[in-house]
Amino acid sequence: MVKVAERLRDTKKKINSLDFDAHWYRRTFHAFGASFLVYYILPDVDWINILKFWVPPFIVVFVIILEVLRLTGKISSDHFFGLRMYEKNRVGSYVFFAVAILILLRFFPQQIAIPCILCATLGDPIIGEIRQHFGMNYLFLFGFLVCMFFFMIAWFKSDILLFVLASIVGGFGAIIGETKKFWWLDDDFMIQMIPAFLLLIIWISIPYFGSGYPGEIIYPGTMPW
Amino acid sequence: MKLFILVLCHGDIRMNKSEMKYIKKEFYFSKVIRAEILFTPFLIALPLIVGFSLIYDWYARGMLEGNPAFNGELVLGIVILVGNIAFDVPFVRSLRVLSKKK
Repeated sequence: MVKVAERLRDTKKKINSLDFDAHWYRRTFHAFGASFLVYYILPDVDWINILKFWVPPFIVVFVIILEVLRLTGKISSDHFFGLRMYEKNRVGSYVFFAVAILILLRFFPQQIAIPCILCATLGDPIIGEIRQHFGMNYLFLFGFLVCMFFFMIAWFKSDILLFVLASIVGGFGAIIGETKKFWWLDDDFMIQMIPAFLLLIIWISIPYFGSGYPGEIIYPGTMPW
Repeated sequence: MKLFILVLCHGDIRMNKSEMKYIKKEFYFSKVIRAEILFTPFLIALPLIVGFSLIYDWYARGMLEGNPAFNGELVLGIVILVGNIAFDVPFVRSLRVLSKKK
């Protein structure tokens, strides 16, 4: 009887460690998304431009096919480590994550795309940790400051008025995107697209402010040969 | 879990369908974790490479040539590096704890 109790305790510990592992796995996976910024570092050469055009949609299509196979039951959800319980019967958040990054890389200027991607890849897990350790009271303030910082990095080359406006609007949009959750639309999508569209409005109205567009942050690299 | 321990303690008992399913699930789970461990070097290394590339680009084309336009790359590189290391460390630690327990 004692042995069984001991084994139960051991197994419970193991299960707890697995949960903990999945938690940090999700966080690390989010942060890994920042490496998609490599898109902007790649040199402006014909064959690399072809790769830049085809590889991101190829990855997204692959992810969507994988998700369709999972949802139709052809691949078991058990194969997807780190999947949340509520994602078992709906589209997984990683699909939203990938689609939003593809839209940003393809259709938005990098001054908008980079901070929005950083909000999802680094801002989202930081906000998650704030929520877990300090509760909802601090979430809005610290989450807003973290996301605002990413927009400050991206818009530091613009006029002071645009710099302040873009940082505040971007941070606000990201925190709204993070906190608003729908069953059919994940926050990983919203945290990127809401600030992106808000900033697009600012971007379009820049000529009316009487100022120039901010310069790029990442410049394409040069071929070493 | 009780079921799993029951199976461990009494290896000779005949398993029904749900028990088999449970064991299968346990097998899947360990397989997925193994895949995750294999994926870890890529998960950790790629963002670090991108972060260092940005810092190197700032150094080579910005600092050495006295061009402040590349300062954004420096800040971005540091943010990517710090952000990733901050989540990589507890993740690797949890993996190590897990593998020690196994």
